Amino acid sequence: MIKQYFKQALVQLRQHPLISVISIVGTSLSIFLIMLVVMLQQVKVAPFSPESNRDRFLHIHYMTINHKDWGNDGTSNGPMSVQTARELYKSLKTPEAVTIYSCMTVSTPVSLPGIPAIGADVRETDATFFSVFDFRFVGGKPYDEANFDAGRPVAVITESISRALFSTTESVGKEFLLNHAPYRVVGVVKDVSTLADMSYGQVWIPFTSTDLPNDTWCDQHMGMMSTTILARSRDDFREIRAEAKRRMNEYNSILADQGYTLRDLNRPYDQETQSISFSANMEPDLQAARRERVIIFIILLLVPAINLSSMTQSRLRQRVAEIGVRRAFGSTRMEMVGQIIMENLIVTLLSGAVGLFISVLMAYWGTDILFAQPYSMTLNAPTVDSSILLHPSTFLYALLFCFVLNLLSSGIPAWKASRTGIVNALGGKIH
Amino acid sequence: MNTKLITQIKNEWRSNLWLVTELLLVSVVLWYIVDYMYVKTSIYNQPKGFDISHCYLVQMGCLTDKSPDFIPNQTEEEKRQDVKELLSRLQHRPDIEAAGLGQNSYPYNGGNSGASVVYDTLRSPGWTVRRLVTPDFVRVFRYCGTRGETPEQLAEMLKDSRNFLASDNLYKQRYGRDLTSLVGKPFYLFGDTTNTWNLAASLQVIRYGDYFEAWNSYSMLAPISEAWYSKNLELCVRVKEDQDQDFIARLKADSEKQYRVGNLFIADVRSFVDIRRNYQQAETNTWNSYLFGMGFLLLNIFLGLLGTFWFRTQQRRSEIALMKSLGGTDRSVCIRLVVEGLLLLAVATVPAMLIDWNLANVELNSWMDGSTFSWSRFLITVLFTFILIALMIVVGVGIPARKAMKVQPAEALHDE
Repeated sequence: MIKQYFKQALVQLRQHPLISVISIVGTSLSIFLIMLVVMLQQVKVAPFSPESNRDRFLHIHYMTINHKDWGNDGTSNGPMSVQTARELYKSLKTPEAVTIYSCMTVSTPVSLPGIPAIGADVRETDATFFSVFDFRFVGGKPYDEANFDAGRPVAVITESISRALFSTTESVGKEFLLNHAPYRVVGVVKDVSTLADMSYGQVWIPFTSTDLPNDTWCDQHMGMMSTTILARSRDDFREIRAEAKRRMNEYNSILADQGYTLRDLNRPYDQETQSISFSANMEPDLQAARRERVIIFIILLLVPAINLSSMTQSRLRQRVAEIGVRRAFGSTRMEMVGQIIMENLIVTLLSGAVGLFISVLMAYWGTDILFAQPYSMTLNAPTVDSSILLHPSTFLYALLFCFVLNLLSSGIPAWKASRTGIVNALGGKIH
Repeated sequence: MNTKLITQIKNEWRSNLWLVTELLLVSVVLWYIVDYMYVKTSIYNQPKGFDISHCYLVQMGCLTDKSPDFIPNQTEEEKRQDVKELLSRLQHRPDIEAAGLGQNSYPYNGGNSGASVVYDTLRSPGWTVRRLVTPDFVRVFRYCGTRGETPEQLAEMLKDSRNFLASDNLYKQRYGRDLTSLVGKPFYLFGDTTNTWNLAASLQVIRYGDYFEAWNSYSMLAPISEAWYSKNLELCVRVKEDQDQDFIARLKADSEKQYRVGNLFIADVRSFVDIRRNYQQAETNTWNSYLFGMGFLLLNIFLGLLGTFWFRTQQRRSEIALMKSLGGTDRSVCIRLVVEGLLLLAVATVPAMLIDWNLANVELNSWMDGSTFSWSRFLITVLFTFILIALMIVVGVGIPARKAMKVQPAEALHDE
């Protein structure tokens, strides 16, 4: 049976070369664009090192603060101070871990003494940072709580920085200058893609080793820090949010004396919400973003489906005598529909594979155009590797969209063809 | 001939229905994209009010006690003097034309601060951007006055700490008044009702970014007090016109010897071209994906018409042959097919326009000049959409039409 479908499909492809090319190009183009949209979304939410736990992340990237003298709408928005992050989130009991780190990387001069400096993207973190984000260490290990508490000048650097500074990746224990202060390398990690929004950097140092915690505003309530919570599982999200809310209320009642109120705009956000959260003073609309994606999918599926339908129908017209014979010999309508759809599915899957292949190629070649981050401080272009792009879910999505496209493009013609009267069909008339 | 063509289109309405549906859908989506692009291009081409060519942002850093060179126990006054000294050294650098400090002030800056500018009962909108700057900041980005004041003259005005500058449109939307007529008058600033500032000049509107409209970009400039000087201020420089080559590398190379002042040093130098690109990446991404979508839709139209008309010319082989044998030229055969395609598009465009018009009226498309609809914009975008699709139709139908032109009447009629 299946073999028969294959034969039919292949013969048909050969019969009308131009129409076959059009069908294949149309289908693969559609799958290609759909898979690009899927991949654009996946780099934002799918797990890859060092953000392998994205499904368990809750982010508080920015905070909103209001003072009673500013009126109800007068707010100040941005990253928070270490003090605020500690009081509000570090104190939570439900999460597995909570890390506080600088909200963005800063291009900072690093060098060996007497040699011109290069600019490296530096992120300042606490020690928990390395248990929340799973960096791949090629040498050494992260700085520990003791080093962090003491504010020792130690650093974790990437392989490329290590190579640029020391011409080797084995640099653990060596010293270099960061902002003209000597830092000791304690760990070397694999390079991190800029697409890892929260953890990206080229050098990581304890924020206790610099003046960053003193870089504050609004009476030390706001500063330069962001927070990420690692939950034990997604089931804990509700409880963590409730606990954070309670903690926020308690803390606000303490701040009331100074006239300040912190507002979280329903933070913490999960990874998907955070990925569309751009401004500090607005709550992102997850539903709208999802709706937009669905509309894009519908357009990308519907337009080629109409094309293909029209062509499938023209093709079936030429096979109407065959349909008549089959029906005359006892084939049911459902069988006819099934056969036409299956035949078409073979072509769809074939072109789907082509489309997926092109989209992966495009993702590698056009990385800096496709995945350029909406907002970032680094001038380094994003990079992708197979661990970021090729998840089992990528293939599942591709397959799913192929099925949908197939149904859309051959469903109506197949249904119509199956309803042709046997006598008419034998006579070669389709309507 | 035309009535015949219409009869023919009617007779094949089943397969034409597919085409018209597709053309209708594509026409609506394409119009949405064309409208977006029209709006963004119009906004992009408005005068910006500033000039970032040859401009660089110098990021200052401060030594910590971890550094052997660290000077401990500096007073706040000493720290401020170091910033002032670094600024002055950069201003005297031969390849630099102007250097200034600002707070949340440089263009393409994600951060901003607000200010209120009040004259009598007139009050500026809430999102008026406050730019606290040193006088030469104006020369760096080449702001200009509405009465033709040059950046140099404006910089001179800002040397008096009671003077301030504001963009001409602060009261335009609310009260219909230009600020130019209020130059020289006393204003209340920053919610302070005890002191007044003098409006020294009205500025040509400084847009917030390339995709922010002029009418909605409000800003004011006031001299920054030395008490605010710190390493967190933005140090912006404009280099002389022929000095862009390797400027960043040159400045960094000199920075250790010439620009270490106390604990202060130059941490990073970034060109405003890069800053602009980073700041507007979201817009660029949207633009690119719409461009992709446009290509996709047009390609589909092309494929759809190519396929349908391929079948058609096959079916009409003998008809075409007859036409030719009765004196039809190659040209007329081709034109007939193309016109058939264009007629279908015309049929689809009518309901498409209705949908477009409704989309614009429920404000689902892009905003410009505070609205989503204006007749001129609507007609231009609909026309452009029509032309784009028509081009695809001509190409898509053209290929099978060429095939039809090659039909040999004798052979085709012989088959029959």
